Amino acid sequence: MDFHSALGWGLPVGIGLAAIGSGIGLGGIGNGAMQAIGRQPEATAKIQLAMIIIAALAEALTIYAFVTMFLLKGSIAG
Amino acid sequence: MGLELLARVRRTSLWVGGIAALIIATYAAPRAGLSVFAGTAWSLVNLILLERLIVALTGLDRRTFPATGRAIAAIGGLLLLFVAGWLLLQRLPATLLMAGFGIPFAVIVLKAIALLVLPSRAWRRFTRTPWPAVAVVVILAAGAWAVSNGWSGARSGPATGPVAARQAPGGSEAPVASEPAAGEHGGAVAHGGEEEKGPEKFANVLTVLARAFPDAGWARWLHHYEVIIFSLFIALMLCVIAMLATRNPQMVPGPLQNGVELVVQTLHDFLVDILGNKYGPRYVPFLGTLFVYILAMNLFGLIPFMDSPTSSLNVTVALALVVFIYSQYIGFRELGLVGWVDHMAGNPRSAIGWALVPLMLPIHLMGELAKPISLACRLFGNIFGEDMLLVAFASLGITVMGFTHLPLGLPLQLPFLFLALLTSTLQALVFTVLSTIYFLLMLPHDDHGDEAEGHTQSQHAH
Repeated sequence: MDFHSALGWGLPVGIGLAAIGSGIGLGGIGNGAMQAIGRQPEATAKIQLAMIIIAALAEALTIYAFVTMFLLKGSIAG
Repeated sequence: MGLELLARVRRTSLWVGGIAALIIATYAAPRAGLSVFAGTAWSLVNLILLERLIVALTGLDRRTFPATGRAIAAIGGLLLLFVAGWLLLQRLPATLLMAGFGIPFAVIVLKAIALLVLPSRAWRRFTRTPWPAVAVVVILAAGAWAVSNGWSGARSGPATGPVAARQAPGGSEAPVASEPAAGEHGGAVAHGGEEEKGPEKFANVLTVLARAFPDAGWARWLHHYEVIIFSLFIALMLCVIAMLATRNPQMVPGPLQNGVELVVQTLHDFLVDILGNKYGPRYVPFLGTLFVYILAMNLFGLIPFMDSPTSSLNVTVALALVVFIYSQYIGFRELGLVGWVDHMAGNPRSAIGWALVPLMLPIHLMGELAKPISLACRLFGNIFGEDMLLVAFASLGITVMGFTHLPLGLPLQLPFLFLALLTSTLQALVFTVLSTIYFLLMLPHDDHGDEAEGHTQSQHAH
């Protein structure tokens, strides 16, 4: 398997793996935030703010994979 | 009544001329589209000046001095207009100019027919139920399909198949994906093959210009610096809005002042809530401007024929570098050099803390350097990915409708436009909130010492 075909196989799989990871992370964040809001509805605004920040941090990992895919996409066709 | 009809005719002709020019520029040649639009514009200006002249000559105050002045100005404008028309005829193809020139007259004729037909009894009977109209539309669409199929078949030969009808204007192989007729999102997709940048995006004004004048140096310059031009334009727009809103502040604000005050007040409360009352108000202008600017840049790409500057890594890296430098400056100013090094070393106050300094110092330094990278990549990736999603679904909609050989497509990207609105706002918010928190981490915390002591005490207790 040469470099190009290895890249062609690896890039989509890598994005999928990253998406699985951050999907699990986002699920956990949402779960925790919803439970917290359910227990303490008056703190909704603060919990939502923290949830959005942490969700952005978790989501960023998929975005990094996505950016890497676009940076390396040109080398697949090679 | 008559003048109102004329105003409506002007508006409709401008729209019709613009859309016809865009379609012709995309499918035939950019120059041809320009000619059609120039013809329409010339004809419209001609109509406006004639209307002014007639109003000035026949109005109630026709014998007074200002009316005479207006009439003379209109006549002078007409003369200038004829010189401009002569110049246009020298440079652009005459048939297309004449076609554009005829558009306002066609609109006037159609409007007049509509005025005659709409109140008639036959029309009312026709529109009592929707079905006759549906039948007519279906028959017209089928007829247009048949005619255009025969036309494109005669032009490109039956063997080449559906690809032949949609070749790029320059004759290259890259398929030009055009806009759905409803026009939600601008124009054709730029060629991927000709540019050195890999992925395709929606064409914006400057890429269209660069394609229209491939040899002109200024067009290439504009295309090369399009990101900077767009971001400067947005900054200028925001400046003008802010100046207009605050030029003449009233106790009972007008709509613009009210809107701007709402935005400023919300941002101020939000940021002071995070930063605290002591340091908050000082950094609200910077962070609030950052939010508004990034939001405007993100949303700018959803306007047809415009581009989000934040879908380029250059802009997001610049923004993140500004935040990075400013937060380091805050650290130096508020903590001093010794305090900054102390902060980077993890505020060692006990033996365990000093023992951990060789570990904590590099970790903190690398964390500081990772912050701008992650800020820039997150914003770029989200906005760029959103653009790519829209492009992918727009081209899918055109591929689906490819069998008709018409310059139409299903607006499949429509649901994702709303998703794009959401991500644009959310990413602007996330960028601002993370910058705020980086600032907050650099500021001296009042409760830091108490917390540290509390920790040591609890450790002692254990």
